[in-house]
Amino acid sequence: MLFLQHFCEMLYQSSFGTMLRESNYAFSVIESVHVLSITLLVGTIAVLDLRMLGLILRPISVSSLARSVLPLSWSGFAVSVASGFLLFWAEAAKMYVNPGFRTKMVLLVLAGFNALVFHTTIYRRAQEWERQHISPLRARVTALASLALWGGVIIAGRAIAYF
Amino acid sequence: MSLYSWFMALARSPLGHAMQTSRWGFAVVEMVHLLGLALLGGSVLIVDLRLLGVILKGESAITLGRDASRLLMGSLTVMVLSGIALLSEESGKCYYSPAFRWKMALLAAAVVFYFTLHRQALLRVQSGKPTFWPRIAAVVSLLLWLSVGVAGRAIGLL
Repeated sequence: MLFLQHFCEMLYQSSFGTMLRESNYAFSVIESVHVLSITLLVGTIAVLDLRMLGLILRPISVSSLARSVLPLSWSGFAVSVASGFLLFWAEAAKMYVNPGFRTKMVLLVLAGFNALVFHTTIYRRAQEWERQHISPLRARVTALASLALWGGVIIAGRAIAYF
Repeated sequence: MSLYSWFMALARSPLGHAMQTSRWGFAVVEMVHLLGLALLGGSVLIVDLRLLGVILKGESAITLGRDASRLLMGSLTVMVLSGIALLSEESGKCYYSPAFRWKMALLAAAVVFYFTLHRQALLRVQSGKPTFWPRIAAVVSLLLWLSVGVAGRAIGLL
C-alpha cells in the first residue's frame, strides 16, 4: 500500500498532473467527457439488464440485444477509463485517501466480476433461454446486481467531489 | 407573476430551504439526476442507432421505440423532478446563467422533436431499412440530447 501511495504522490507532483489540476478548462472538459462516456457505458448495460428482467424489449432476443449493445458499452468503458485516468492523474494524492474514490474502485471491480461471472456461466447457454420474455433466475440476479453495482459506481463517483 | 418571481418562490419554498441547509441534500439529488441521465442516454441511443441502421436492423423499430419511450419517459420524470430540487438550491444563480437558459431551451426542443418528427420517423421505418429522413431525425435527436447534457454540465462551470 505504501508503494501505491508513493505512486499517487508521484503522479500528483508530475508536471502533467499539475498542469491538468491548474488548468482552467482541460479538467472540466475531461470531466464532461467522463460523465458522457459513463452515460454510454451504464445506459447501454442498463438496457440489457432491464431486458433480462423482462421490463423492456421482450420481443427481442437477449443475445441479439447483447450483440448490439455490448460494443457500445465497451466503447463507453474505454473512454471512461482513459478520461478517468487523466482525472486521477491530476488529483492522485487526494484520490488515494478519498472514501468516494475508494468505494468507486471497489464497486467497479465488483461490477467487472459480476459481468465476468455472467459471461462465463449463464450467458454461455444463452441460446436455450434468449427468447424467453423473462430470463432465468440466475440471469435476473446478475442483471439486478449489475444495475445496483453500476448505479453505485455513479453514486460513489459523484461523491468524490464532496469529500 | 414574472418568471423571476417564480424562481424566487422556488428558492423560498420548503424544498428550497431543505436543499440549501442540508449537508448532503444537493449531493444525493445530483446522484439521482445522474442515474436518470444514464437511463435516458441508454434509451435515446438504442432508438437512434436503430433509426440510423447501426444496431438491431432486423427488429421492429416500432416495438423498440415503444419500449424505449417508456424508459425515456420514466428517466425524464426522474431527471425533471430531481432537476427542480437542484434548481431550488440555486435558482437565483440559474436564472441569470446562460448555460441554464440554453439547457432549458434545448430540452424543450429535444422533447418537442421527440414527440413529433422523431416519432414520425419511427413510424416510417417500421421494420424496413432506414432511409434518408429517419437517419436525419436520429442525428438531430442525438445532437439535441447531447447538447442538453453539455449545457447542463456547463451550468456548474460558467
